[in-house]
Amino acid sequence: MRKYWIHLVLILVTLTLAGLAFQQGGFSFVYEGILRGASLIFHEIPLLVAAFLTAGFLQALVKKEMVTRWLGEESGFKGILLACLGGGLIPGGPYAYYPIANALLKSGAGVGVLVAFVTAKNLWSVSRLPLEIAILGSRVTIFRFSITFLIPPVMGVVASRLFGPMIDKIRRGIP
Amino acid sequence: MDTATIVLWIIAIAFGTYAWRRRDGSLKKGGELAWKTTRQNAALLVIAFFIVGYIDLLSPTELIQTWIGPQSGWKGIFLAEGLGMLLPGGPYVVFPLIAVLYQSGASLSAVVTLTTSWATLAFLTVSFELPFMGWRFTLIRWGLGLCIPLIAGGVTLLITA
Repeated sequence: MRKYWIHLVLILVTLTLAGLAFQQGGFSFVYEGILRGASLIFHEIPLLVAAFLTAGFLQALVKKEMVTRWLGEESGFKGILLACLGGGLIPGGPYAYYPIANALLKSGAGVGVLVAFVTAKNLWSVSRLPLEIAILGSRVTIFRFSITFLIPPVMGVVASRLFGPMIDKIRRGIP
Repeated sequence: MDTATIVLWIIAIAFGTYAWRRRDGSLKKGGELAWKTTRQNAALLVIAFFIVGYIDLLSPTELIQTWIGPQSGWKGIFLAEGLGMLLPGGPYVVFPLIAVLYQSGASLSAVVTLTTSWATLAFLTVSFELPFMGWRFTLIRWGLGLCIPLIAGGVTLLITA
């Protein structure tokens, strides 16, 4: 059962949202939500397949010792910067970069490196910038980007200092 | 097909070609690992996408607009951080929504906070993070991240004030 508690949490969230939808528009709204979810899945299948393949090849090609040396807890600031670059450049939503982060975690990457990778994806994301400038304007984008520019490496260092030793527990905890 | 999909396929194909050329079983092993990860996470992914579907459907644009309104200052920043976590979907959905709020009078600091909070703390992202990274990593990353939107909005507020 312990293995499935994340399933349970997500199912509860889904049911709560379905309840809210029912309250707002009856069964047709509940159905509409399911329909949107399903159409999203079909729309994202090409991206998902590419992400899972990339994650799989990454694990098969890259030797554990190499990941540990370049991105492990001992890799220090160099590893964190490398992860920031990777995170900033990788395209796609959370269903694309989390499988890749999962592969890195399994192959020996450290906490600081993984936090830096995810945070850089969130804040630097090169592929999102043109859209942000186009829709929100250059003023908002320049403020947001330049103020948060240093945050990914800083977060990586902080996470590594505070939680570095927890990496084995984290690794054992994933399904 | 969008740019992200194309770029990821190019990366996947490049890795695949390299694995094939090594001729040491890497291609087969990589494919098997990909299939294993897919099998393990398929159910969770499907549930997570239904959550996205529902939030997309229920998206309370008007409600957000009345909450954040033309108010500024620290109160707006804290409010925007909370709202950012709830924003539904990817940039194509969220940026137009934030643009509407900005045009209807939300302050620059609130808009910067909102964008940053959505990017780093969104609950929807967490529903993908939990299955792949486990609750310990998610808690560490999300917990440390709580200060990021406040920093971004606070600095913007100090500069523009």
